[in-house]
Amino acid sequence: MHSLRWAWSYIREYKGRFALGLLLVLVVSALNMLNPYIAGKIVDDVIYGQQKNVLGPLLGIMIGFTFFRTIVRYGYQMTFEKLSQNVIFKMRANLYDRLHKLDFSFYDQTKTGDIMARMTGDLEAVRHFTAWSIYMIFENAMILLFAIGFMFYIHPPLALAMLMVTPFIGFFAFRLTADVRPTFTEIRNQFARLNSVVQENISGNRVVKAFAKEEYEIQKFSAENGAFKEKNLQSAKIWEKYLPILDSLAGVLTVVMILAGGIMVIHGSLTFGELVMFNSLIWALNNPMRMAGWLINDVQRFIASAEKVEELLKTEPKIMNQETEAAKVKNFNGVVEFDHVNFSYGEGPVLKDINFKAKPGQSVAIIGPTGSGKSTLVNLLSRFYDASSGVVRVDGINVKDWDIQRLRDGMAMVMQDIFLFSDTIEGNIAYGSPQSSLDSIQNAARLAEAHDFISALPEGYDTIVGERGVGLSGGQRQRIALARAILKDPSILILDDTTSSVDMETELRIQTTLQSIHQCKTRFIVAHRISSVKEADLILVMENGRIIERGKHTELIKKKGYYYNVYKNQYGNFDHKQHGKEVI
Amino acid sequence: MARNKFDVDEELDTPFSITHLKRLFVYIKPYKKKIILTVLIMLIASGANLIGPYLIKQAIDEEIPGKDIPGLFLLSAIYLFALIITGICMKYRIRIMSQIGQSIIQNIRKDLFTHLQSLSFSFYDSRPHGKILVRVVNYVNSLSDLLSNGLINLITDMFSLAVIIGFMLVIDVKLTLLAMLGFPVLAGIIFLIKNAQRKAWQDLSNKQSNMNAYIHESINGIKVTQAFTRESENKRIFQEVSGEYRSSWMKAVYIQFLLWPSIENISVLTVSFIYVMGISMIGDGVTVGSLIAFIGYIWMFWTPLANIGNFYNAIINAMAYLERIFEMMDEKPTVTSDPESKDLGMIKGKVEFDDVVFGYEGEDRTLKGINFKANPGDTIALVGATGSGKTTIVSLISRFYDINSGSIKIDDVDIKTVTIHSLRKQMGVMLQDPFIFSGTIMDNIRYGRLDAADEEVIAAAKAVQADPFISELKDGYQTEVNERGTRLSTGQRQLISFARALLADPKILILDEATSSIDTETELALQRGLETLLADRTSFIIAHRLSTIQNATRILFIENGRIIEEGTHQELLNQKGHYWKLHKSQHHTLEVS
Repeated sequence: MHSLRWAWSYIREYKGRFALGLLLVLVVSALNMLNPYIAGKIVDDVIYGQQKNVLGPLLGIMIGFTFFRTIVRYGYQMTFEKLSQNVIFKMRANLYDRLHKLDFSFYDQTKTGDIMARMTGDLEAVRHFTAWSIYMIFENAMILLFAIGFMFYIHPPLALAMLMVTPFIGFFAFRLTADVRPTFTEIRNQFARLNSVVQENISGNRVVKAFAKEEYEIQKFSAENGAFKEKNLQSAKIWEKYLPILDSLAGVLTVVMILAGGIMVIHGSLTFGELVMFNSLIWALNNPMRMAGWLINDVQRFIASAEKVEELLKTEPKIMNQETEAAKVKNFNGVVEFDHVNFSYGEGPVLKDINFKAKPGQSVAIIGPTGSGKSTLVNLLSRFYDASSGVVRVDGINVKDWDIQRLRDGMAMVMQDIFLFSDTIEGNIAYGSPQSSLDSIQNAARLAEAHDFISALPEGYDTIVGERGVGLSGGQRQRIALARAILKDPSILILDDTTSSVDMETELRIQTTLQSIHQCKTRFIVAHRISSVKEADLILVMENGRIIERGKHTELIKKKGYYYNVYKNQYGNFDHKQHGKEVI
Repeated sequence: MARNKFDVDEELDTPFSITHLKRLFVYIKPYKKKIILTVLIMLIASGANLIGPYLIKQAIDEEIPGKDIPGLFLLSAIYLFALIITGICMKYRIRIMSQIGQSIIQNIRKDLFTHLQSLSFSFYDSRPHGKILVRVVNYVNSLSDLLSNGLINLITDMFSLAVIIGFMLVIDVKLTLLAMLGFPVLAGIIFLIKNAQRKAWQDLSNKQSNMNAYIHESINGIKVTQAFTRESENKRIFQEVSGEYRSSWMKAVYIQFLLWPSIENISVLTVSFIYVMGISMIGDGVTVGSLIAFIGYIWMFWTPLANIGNFYNAIINAMAYLERIFEMMDEKPTVTSDPESKDLGMIKGKVEFDDVVFGYEGEDRTLKGINFKANPGDTIALVGATGSGKTTIVSLISRFYDINSGSIKIDDVDIKTVTIHSLRKQMGVMLQDPFIFSGTIMDNIRYGRLDAADEEVIAAAKAVQADPFISELKDGYQTEVNERGTRLSTGQRQLISFARALLADPKILILDEATSSIDTETELALQRGLETLLADRTSFIIAHRLSTIQNATRILFIENGRIIEEGTHQELLNQKGHYWKLHKSQHHTLEVS
């Protein structure tokens, strides 16, 4: 019932058309009775009665009404198709919307294949229901009501006798409903698993091949594929149990009619003509009851899928705009302040009591062991996650009070895990600012030291890069992602391990340009190479979620702590004597 | 082949042909016996069904007027018995048909997936992954109804059509022939609709594929989208893509649903025609009784015909999916084992490149004549600017791509002459882009060697310095991670991926920027631990931090697809060439402050 109400909330927008569609269904069901009637009339009046002159008009009526009826039928079919497409279009748009609202913690826990399953197979089940099942149910219910009403009008006792069967039908229909529903839910869940296993296999195809694990992948897939078949067969097992019973019970109606009706006729409480009329109406009782089982299946399938779609739609992001619109209109300066910030993904603490402040135009570098919390720290800045305690402030305002869009608009980030879209290089660079001119795109590429290699490609900026940027080397991808960030011209630029795959010479050139153009911008640089961080105004050394050292390069070297050791390791490997210089 | 993106329709190479149906038939054939059995069951059921009206007629004509109540009970009993028979038949029909339908679907999907495994990198690189996914899962699913109920209905409908025509022929040959006049008209209409419908459904399947590709990519790139606040632009594009799908759907159904009204109108016209002709022929060889019987049949005659028409409709629609499925099954892997290729056998690890020339997708040459030799146990380092061809060289050792000319030999055997499987399973490759499967960390490392014991997995993790951070996680090695590597930093993912490569216990180990996101401390510890592990393996290391590679047996300096310098660290420094310059500049960057 709940899912129906949910579907109705979408259909309601088209309730005029919906009502019209149902009305047309009624018209057609009524007209359906006409042809057999005329056929009977022809036999009685023309063939037996020899009134040949009525043949023409009767046929004319039959042809005319058939034409009319088929057109009306086509009309309502299209009405429901169109309506369902509009409904699905809206649902899909809402789902897509929701996907963009959900935060990183949702994506950290949800498989792509699972989301895909909801956006494809589950939506399809909802479509089928709105396009077809709804009016079929209506049509059959109407025919049934009409037949029951008419039968009660003709002869209540016989009608009542026949309806004795309905509690049994009702009982089994109820059992079917209860039993079949979980099987559909399981089918949908298995469908999601199947989707996930295929999806991951495609995404990870390089690893699969590198380790020659094709056989293993096929095994893994076959298990899910086989389970999908099994779940479907389990559902079919429920059908094979109940559908024949329902079908036979519908037939029992006829038996009751002929037996009880016959006895009533023999006893004189029912006329022979009335029995014949019952007989001519019996199909209107039989057919809907036969259909009942299949329609119940349809409804249950719909509910199982609708629940999955709705679940996704109802998933709330943890990170949302505050009710107040305090910080919406604002000039972005780029002051960043971490004030006693603690953070945890749910298990142990990842950031512990982080304190620092960066002024506009300053560059802040973060260095430290793998997993020490560097990326997490910059992720809090764009509010991809919320601090567990303490405050992150941008321009003196708690990031939680910022309008998220506005906040992120002022920043540009190059993530550790570079993602390029299967689009042209131009499209990829312009991703954050789609209206950019080619000139500005090329300029950004130049600043990111990417222009030369892009121009060297046969199709230059129009080269389509595969999903995730395959076909480009790691360093090339990093530079395209950097160009993307530069093009956005942000107030705060965040580079998370952006040049790890770029050779040092290129890196040096990039740094120099960044420094010259971004003098008024706040920059965050996460890196492992001393060469990447040593020019920074503030270097934060992190370990285990804490800032253990801070200062400028020279200050940190003097401290002879962690930073000094890293420096020595990277620097000390060079042959000092050859250059005749001492460390420091 | 040009790369495809989400909003570009895919051209189809093969036109529609009967061969698609023939190929589908190959999947149906194993279930021939079961299908025949089901048809028999259906015949029994329809026999039992036919008894019903006859019993009613009997009751109304005989028992009720004759006030024969016991007779009435007998008839009812027979009727009930017939209902039970129908019920049982229905039960078995549902059972057998779901089995057949689901099995065929399972088999097609399995064949498709298995074939996918044989396809080379270039296949995956050239199209959005969402388009591959939709074929394996959704397209195959859409065949299910056609293959289960559609098929059986077709057979039973054909059968009843034949029976009805038989009865009609017995009654009156001339009228039967007249009744058939509707056929060519119907065929003509179907033919007209067919082309338009086929095009419409092809278009629809394309739009569906485009939309799914866009959804798929949107999900995978969501972090970038949010970071760049591009949500509204994406929504706009999605509205477009989704709108195109909606309108192509409507176009398809506008045409498809025309078939049914056509059939009904033709049937009424034919029936009317028979009334006129039949009535005028009464006395002229046609009796009233036979005409009435004939008219009874002619109404029945159109129902199976309409069903067959519907099945045809369904076939046309399915074809749009079927041809895509078969197209993918026909996709030839660009890198294949030669039929006469043999197993490589246990290798020692000697690698030799002899004048290797290579270019991606037939484009500009990425490698222009590479020559080098690595002896078992050697550590070969590759340095050079980004895009110079380092990754390409190491991918060729695993034969991820086939070279244009020259040869690559392992233990003096050309890798083209051995099976790909035997070659790759002896390599441990750590790719630049570490991929994590959903599952536990334990499973992810074990991917390198599936039969490895837990202790071995942990030992590998210890060797690459991954153990400390893994042990700190609440669930340790049993921590669930997913494709995006849930909350693991890139450095941590690199370490897991490194452990995976090491666990494979390969003779040849390839580390493509294995440590680019790993801090120096960990890296140093890692290097110390690796020394023994690398001793009896040939390893190839790509790195930018020269500190990582200076102990290599030989360093190859790559520029623009050529090796321009090679030698040990010291030799290259003495040469005072490119490597020396690079070394000096790294030193210099560190020095200046």
